[in-house]
Amino acid sequence: MTEPTALILYAFLVIVTLLLQATGTMTQLGMGYLLSSRDEKRTVSGIAGRLERALDNSVTAMVLFAPAVLLIVVTDSSTNQSVLACQVFLIARVIYLPAYAFKLTGIRSLAWTAGLLCTALLYFLAL
Amino acid sequence: MTPELTALTLAALLQVVQYALMAVPANLELGAGKTLSPRDPDRLGAPLQDQVSPRTGRLMRALNNHFEGLILFAIACTVVTMSDQSTPFTAACAWTYLAARAAYVPAYAFGLVPWRSLIWFAGFLATTLMLVAALI
Repeated sequence: MTEPTALILYAFLVIVTLLLQATGTMTQLGMGYLLSSRDEKRTVSGIAGRLERALDNSVTAMVLFAPAVLLIVVTDSSTNQSVLACQVFLIARVIYLPAYAFKLTGIRSLAWTAGLLCTALLYFLAL
Repeated sequence: MTPELTALTLAALLQVVQYALMAVPANLELGAGKTLSPRDPDRLGAPLQDQVSPRTGRLMRALNNHFEGLILFAIACTVVTMSDQSTPFTAACAWTYLAARAAYVPAYAFGLVPWRSLIWFAGFLATTLMLVAALI
């Protein structure tokens, strides 16, 4: 698996997260509200709320991860280490989603930290 | 420059336009005293998005929504280009995305239900198809 493949796979993970979040919101607030202009703010709770926060966090992680992958490719810095960092990032973020949804507190934070460290390592390798 | 990268650049410029469309009415409604402040909750009273008019609030939500879409679209466009996988199909997807996101802004501002959601879905689908094309 190359780094760009890992990036594409992560994009799919974010899409899955988005679909789960939308489903959760629809279940709690109804399709009518979802389609409306949402002028009055309504909030979700429980698992739908956790999915919403997981999505926000996944998007933030994507903003940091995508440039790192592009830098690795553009600077020709791809090594076994950078591939491994991408794989660990992907696994960490796959664990992060159910860990947040099902309130596995320690595991979620551990997965988040692993993902961030992998992203940082990619920037370091690109330097 | 591939058509995908051209569409991506235009989509990023659309986001700059969306910023202006949101920021100008927001500043007029709230006053520079509030928008230039550090926006600490105890001084604001309520979040800024709750203090603006409904239409400005919609433009704020349209801007925030496009960030998510734009990041996914940027990944799709750059990977398709880097891996030399640009085809007429991926180019058509890229232009569809751009058209959908441009139409999304007035659809949200004027509260076109359910068109806003359908337009959003068109852009989302175009990005997803590009990602699939990049993978296979």
